[in-house]
Amino acid sequence: MSGNTENILDIKNIEVVYDNVILALHNVSLQVPKGKVVALLGANGAGKSTTLKAVSTMLASERGKVTKGSISYDGTAIEKQNPSQMVGLGMVQVLEGRRCFGHLTVEENIISGAYSRKLSKSEINQELEKIYSYFLRLKERRKSQAAFTSGGEQQMLAVARAMMAKPKMLLLDEPTMGLAPQLVSEIFNIVKELNQKEGVSILLAEQNTNIALKNSDYGYIIETGKVMLDGTAQSLLNNDQVKELYLGISKKGRKNFRDVLKEEETSKKKNKKKNN
Amino acid sequence: MVNELLFFMEVVVGGLLAGTMYSLVALGFVLIFKASATFNFSQGAMVFFSVLAFCGFMQDFNVPFVFAFILAALLMVVVGLCTERFVLRPLMNASEDTVLMATIGLGYVLEGLAQAAWGVEVRRLDLGIGDFPVPWIADNLKLFISALDITAGIVATLMIVGLFLLFKYTKIGLGLRAVADDAGAASSIGIPLKHIMLLVWSAAGVVALVAGCMWGARAGVQFALVDLALKALPVLIIGGFSSIPGAIVGGLIIGATEKVLEVYIGPFFGGAIEGWAPYVLAIFFLLYRPEGLFGEKIIRRV
Repeated sequence: MSGNTENILDIKNIEVVYDNVILALHNVSLQVPKGKVVALLGANGAGKSTTLKAVSTMLASERGKVTKGSISYDGTAIEKQNPSQMVGLGMVQVLEGRRCFGHLTVEENIISGAYSRKLSKSEINQELEKIYSYFLRLKERRKSQAAFTSGGEQQMLAVARAMMAKPKMLLLDEPTMGLAPQLVSEIFNIVKELNQKEGVSILLAEQNTNIALKNSDYGYIIETGKVMLDGTAQSLLNNDQVKELYLGISKKGRKNFRDVLKEEETSKKKNKKKNN
Repeated sequence: MVNELLFFMEVVVGGLLAGTMYSLVALGFVLIFKASATFNFSQGAMVFFSVLAFCGFMQDFNVPFVFAFILAALLMVVVGLCTERFVLRPLMNASEDTVLMATIGLGYVLEGLAQAAWGVEVRRLDLGIGDFPVPWIADNLKLFISALDITAGIVATLMIVGLFLLFKYTKIGLGLRAVADDAGAASSIGIPLKHIMLLVWSAAGVVALVAGCMWGARAGVQFALVDLALKALPVLIIGGFSSIPGAIVGGLIIGATEKVLEVYIGPFFGGAIEGWAPYVLAIFFLLYRPEGLFGEKIIRRV
């Protein structure tokens, strides 16, 4: 995805190693154009979260390290930044598993998102109202302790809290994990709305391939730390292999890309033999 | 009968006020437990270090009382700064147990530094408040209550109100509570952990200084203060490790029960049960209410 669109995030050939030995990402490149939604798809352990954490510089706190390649965000190289500096630059990650502050009220959780901004009391209230206009459910529950809200509400809270930092770019890590289908589409509607009205660029890690692609502009599919396929969301939705492997529209059993590539190779060899 | 009741009242009130002295020490532990989820074994050493420095400034350099206090408080901020930089930051990804061990080491370093700088002899600390019954109360209420105890009570009250307001209504307080809940999530939304740690350790240092002044005025500024601070352990078990009101109430309960037990049950054990009675009480709490009276319940959604 090169050319005329300006990229807010540009990941070039990164390799990530945990604990100096575990290779989690291998030569991953990825771009997010300004104002677009990009989906990062793959199964558990494929390297989605690792990619997001490499971008938000949260890797260091999990003993991970980008050992090769480069990441530039909005024109800045992120190597020397720490998470709070990244938030200052307008990049906020919503971590996998929501991670709300359980003992704080819903409203306190949201306000804590504005920590990096210097706002007066009245400005905070203004911002709060704006956030509540997207997350109506949260307004009803503003005084309850976050730990006692439902999974869907906690996910909304995590996104709302991140939005309070006024990000230019959001990294969403599996926002629909463990949620009912109805809530999944509710959350995606909000995400889409935030993208369109607030102009936030979004990089989204998801397992729910179908709905993620339907709500994105572009998609990357990764497996065992490698990008296997990328393309516009529409092209991926129509891609036969994606249909078969990720959308469950298949006659045969489950497979992954590696199996497909192997099959292709073997059939090529067979063809060669035949031709010979 | 009336005399007996008065005596009982005196024991209880004396115990409650003495308990506020424990509360003061426990407050320092709570601050650090909230932010680092670690029991700070060096809190006792911090008490000793800060009050010895305070005495040293006054007695060796003739710094006036108020300035010496400010200097000592600033010194504790520096200690907090160094702790964050040289102990906590390198251990950022380490487990809580590792940090716990590090605080034990930090304690030894502080004890050593304090004695190297100011000497090992017991110093007298005169706050201008006597440790003897207030005549007015003795005359009117027939209770013998020490002026120092009353001062400790007032100081403890002021500190809890101050800390409560700080946590509940300021931005940095919100940041601290967020870090206490989930440090990773807090840093993901841009709350700088090192500022919070710095704040907490400095605040704990100043609280240690205040507690040290109270204890030093009563028992002399000496090495024994280090162990005395561990009396805060049963206070915390009863009150809850992460609760500021808990530290206060726990202190009061320990203070009152240990005095009452000492006076009424002590004779059957040959006296001096003050030393271990609080720990027995703590064991009962651990058995039946492990999070303490005010500790944050572990919330699980089902």
